[in-house]
Amino acid sequence: MITFEGAAKLYPDGTVAVDDLHLTVETGQTTVFVGPSGSGKTTSLRMINRMVEPTGGSVLIDGQDVRRRDPAALRRSIGYVIQQAGLFPHRTVRDNIATVPLLLGWGRAGARARATELMELVGLEPSQARRYPHQLSGGQQQRVGVARALAADPPILLMDEPFSAVDPVVRASLQDELLRLQEDLHKTIVFVTHDIDEAVRLGDRIAVFRPGGRLAQYDSPERLLAAPRDAFVESFVGYDRGVRRLSFFPARELSLREDVVFGDGTAAGTAAASMRGEPWALVVTDDRVPLGWVGAGQLARVPADTALGSLGLAPYGHTFAVGTDSLRAALDAAVLSPAGRAVGVDAAGRVVGVVSQDDLGTALWSVTE
Amino acid sequence: MIAEAWDWAARVTEWGVANWSHPGESDRGVLPRLTEHMRLAYLSILIGLVLALPLGLACARWRPLYPPVLTGVNVLYSVPSIALFFLMLPYTGFSDWTAVVPLALYTLVVLLPNVVDGLRQVPDHVRQAAVAMGFGPLRRLVYVETPVAVPVIIAGLRVASVATISMVSVASLVGLGGLGQLILSDGFRRQFDAPIVVGIVLTVLLAFVTDAVLVLAQRLLTPWTRGDGGGAARPRRRRRAAVPTGADAASASAGTVGPEAADAARARYPVRTGRGPGYTAEEGRSWTS
Repeated sequence: MITFEGAAKLYPDGTVAVDDLHLTVETGQTTVFVGPSGSGKTTSLRMINRMVEPTGGSVLIDGQDVRRRDPAALRRSIGYVIQQAGLFPHRTVRDNIATVPLLLGWGRAGARARATELMELVGLEPSQARRYPHQLSGGQQQRVGVARALAADPPILLMDEPFSAVDPVVRASLQDELLRLQEDLHKTIVFVTHDIDEAVRLGDRIAVFRPGGRLAQYDSPERLLAAPRDAFVESFVGYDRGVRRLSFFPARELSLREDVVFGDGTAAGTAAASMRGEPWALVVTDDRVPLGWVGAGQLARVPADTALGSLGLAPYGHTFAVGTDSLRAALDAAVLSPAGRAVGVDAAGRVVGVVSQDDLGTALWSVTE
Repeated sequence: MIAEAWDWAARVTEWGVANWSHPGESDRGVLPRLTEHMRLAYLSILIGLVLALPLGLACARWRPLYPPVLTGVNVLYSVPSIALFFLMLPYTGFSDWTAVVPLALYTLVVLLPNVVDGLRQVPDHVRQAAVAMGFGPLRRLVYVETPVAVPVIIAGLRVASVATISMVSVASLVGLGGLGQLILSDGFRRQFDAPIVVGIVLTVLLAFVTDAVLVLAQRLLTPWTRGDGGGAARPRRRRRAAVPTGADAASASAGTVGPEAADAARARYPVRTGRGPGYTAEEGRSWTS
């Protein structure tokens, strides 16, 4: 547990970086510090490993003031991932990862064995061990950065905008992997970012900082999106917070319609008869792989014995996984579908049913009330 | 014309070979001048380097120190070398030190800015990372900042060594030996060009070889910079680095659409329930696999 007790940082020129911060970071959770530039989130993070010394108040780790620990020893016991990875350009990937174990005196062989272990953990190929950082892509460099921070198995991991310098696709996959990693490791992670989406995605708890180094709100991501405390937090989390909050509700509770899903061998007449006023029907293969949408009007124009599979179908867009996706994914699928309906699939990609925007709307009302 | 030039070159070479060394008289001939030259030059470069490193480290560590120190050494540099040699004579006589002390100072002047700039160009995120890993100030300087500064320091050393090798010739004016002696006493005073040409050629060769050795030393000392200078080599290496990793997200960033992009698109809005992340185990590699 990390506790900020009225921590403050005032620079000699009068700049207030952090102002009277009271905050408790729970053990084993991911706590995200988020805020615009100059809101003191990085300064606060660096107070934890004494890279910044508070000018007022104190920071405690498990009840002990960090100022009573030797800075170098303290830092070796806390993992740190920095923006742009901060890898040592003159050391190989393996030696970069082995840095802290070597400083702790594990010996070269032990440190290297540990580094090899971590490369596997973060998804780096063993063949990359002897490469130098500049030979890696940005995403790979960040993996090395994370591996290096974890090398001595520290209970606390500080991450200072670690994924902000990589492109969105790589960032999304790094975020996923951090979540997977954290599921196994249960480190106490303090993560700094200016990206509220990243904060909502990764954080168990989110601390929103406002300019001038003041804490604006400290809450769970869901509470933050549902009930921003003031206008600053509301504008910072963004005006689509309602839609984003849907990420916290599973799609599995949606009731899906199965009566408008037909095999591709079904006759147009049969389908039209059983649609009962529904404007769109989904055509699937025998294995229930979606093929596309057919409109009621189109069915009325073709001979009744035409197989649905032989008709020109409207593309079904992208699907959502009923068991694992959120309401946000379902809503997104419905919005993008030409039929205005989302296709729900199971883990194997087989169609479970479809849901219309109307039904989705009802469901949204009931869960977000 | 060509025949004349050929004759002249042959005559010079003949003189050089004939006077290469005089058995029994260890102080006469070209070879003793060459070794003298090397001794004076290398000793000066070495001492200059040994002085420049700690001074540069100090200037990089305590920044206010640098401007006055730089001004001071620059003033020294503006003093003509020949004047310094004469100034030294009363104190050190005709020993090596009369040449070595001023030349070492010149090396120091050329090297100091390179040491300081080399240390300063260590990227901030690298320095911060070193602090965060628990390197103390001294360890950081020795294990992180100095090695990263080596390419810049060696670049300075190349300039300094070539300059020093050529300046040793001037030391001969005060009778301190070296290849300059061939040029001055044997050539200039006796109006005889062969020793002058031999002296010049050997000085240039010495500078050239020394420079080549330094380039080689840099390649051996800094394997991590390879492919960094030439723009062409770097992307090739990168691509090679990315290919064997295949599924790695990073390589997907190079291409436009990969399986990874589809994965990412699918995972845009996953469910997050309660405390823990409620993620599906997607196919593909993960950190925990």
